[in-house]
Amino acid sequence: MGSTSTITDAGRPVFYAGRFADRVSDASLPEGCVVLDDWDVLPARLADVMEGASTLVVLDLFSFPFEALSGVQRDVPLIVALPAGFDTDFLTTVFGKAVFERLDFFDRVATADSGAWMSLRRRYGWAEGQSIRLGNGGPDEAAGEIWALLEAESAAPTFFGDGSYEAARYWSERGDALAESVPHRAICSVRHGPDFNKAMHRVQKAALEPQFAAAGGARAEDVPFDVLEVGVGIGRWAASFDLAKTRFFGVDISEGMVAAARANFPEGRFDRLEPDLRFPCDDESFDLVFSVTVMHHNPTPAKRTLLSEMWRVARPGGRLLFLEDFVVGRWSEKSTVYPMSVLEFVGLLLEATNWQVTLEHVESLRYPHDDMTRGGIIAVSKLGVPKRW
Amino acid sequence: MSENDFYTPTDLERLRMENELLSFEVRFLRSRLGWSGRGPGSSVSLNRLAHLEEAEQDLVLLVRRMASSPLGPFFRIKGEFRTLEERYVLSPETQDPYSPNRLAYLEEAEKDLLLLLRRMGTGPIGRLFRLKREFRTLEQRYL
Repeated sequence: MGSTSTITDAGRPVFYAGRFADRVSDASLPEGCVVLDDWDVLPARLADVMEGASTLVVLDLFSFPFEALSGVQRDVPLIVALPAGFDTDFLTTVFGKAVFERLDFFDRVATADSGAWMSLRRRYGWAEGQSIRLGNGGPDEAAGEIWALLEAESAAPTFFGDGSYEAARYWSERGDALAESVPHRAICSVRHGPDFNKAMHRVQKAALEPQFAAAGGARAEDVPFDVLEVGVGIGRWAASFDLAKTRFFGVDISEGMVAAARANFPEGRFDRLEPDLRFPCDDESFDLVFSVTVMHHNPTPAKRTLLSEMWRVARPGGRLLFLEDFVVGRWSEKSTVYPMSVLEFVGLLLEATNWQVTLEHVESLRYPHDDMTRGGIIAVSKLGVPKRW
Repeated sequence: MSENDFYTPTDLERLRMENELLSFEVRFLRSRLGWSGRGPGSSVSLNRLAHLEEAEQDLVLLVRRMASSPLGPFFRIKGEFRTLEERYVLSPETQDPYSPNRLAYLEEAEKDLLLLLRRMGTGPIGRLFRLKREFRTLEQRYL
């Protein structure tokens, strides 16, 4: 049911030490670790080194050429160590556009300064889990601490289930098993490395965020945007909303995932979904109700229940949004998917909503590592008159 | 290039599902752009498209009738009329209904018809045109 691996199984981490290369090289980083100085980031050399890298750790933020990262190199998860002794306004001015705004959910920030972290986290909407707390040592010690963390994450047991697949039990157990040790492995694919999952996340984010914005529409400053995510996991999509103006609520079958989501985004509200799949929410409470890769993991009766619940809690005029795999097969009893083509899904959706929806958006998604179009987004808006004014 | 570099799907069921997904997306985009009345959620687009098609037909008939009338040579003195005749009668863009330019073409035709009717209706000659029931119908329909 669980299995462990070593850090090199998933590719090797690359440490960019820049001006601190001498000190970091002398540190006790194990064999297999690549340490680059500020001459090693010329494009050709960088491209060579980045091939097969599992993580890029940037210890010298001032001299790393972020603009030189292109294409798939951007899918390698980043760990950026904040330079010590600078206030957050300075850091934002220098690194805001080039670095901080580009950090994704799979990237992390390492710093010993918890005040700076808190301030930047609020400004850029990062999750608490993206933080790596360092000691007060120099770059060589930071490199050692980050290496130890990566090694521990690689060695942490992961979760593949124990045989036949039963959706609620599997996702509950998997979420609880991964929440403490490696919560990032609980989203996207547990079988693949973080670069694979970051690439998937990038594609999904590019497709979802315009839909989130469309659902939010042009609302007055003082009108909150009520959002519900079904199968929220560790809350990664909360980062796509301005939580100062959005009332984000997430439900998940796994208590461990709910706890991780609460820790990641204290501004949001997260609750456990009971096995009967009934949402703990009033009718017509949300402007946007969405799920990301949830439906295709559930058998048809569960899909029906979830769709009915999503419909129930959406406000008239509000949106239902789904990002699912519509091109997938079920090869064995252990397979964690219940295949559904897009028309089968639309049929279920129309049935659950009594046809009281209008189609707002359809978009197919192809992930970088796939040879077929696999995913798709469907957005519908709910017709009807509110039950209460 | 090795044989493995080519896209060689082997799972027919997945291929069917992929085809269904892509077709659904194309249907949605067509209905949103008003290229076709088929597909869900296209009722508004369909009405608009029907209106545009009708406007284009009316414009073609009107220009053809003006060109073949005894006043045709007189109308042709004007460059604008020659442009209209060239565009809609002599070499009309008889396009595939699914062509991506179809909607733009129809909207252009509607705009030209409105301009032509306004121009015909102004001045003393407008009174003459209004003696014709067909002209009054066009004015009523589009202006």
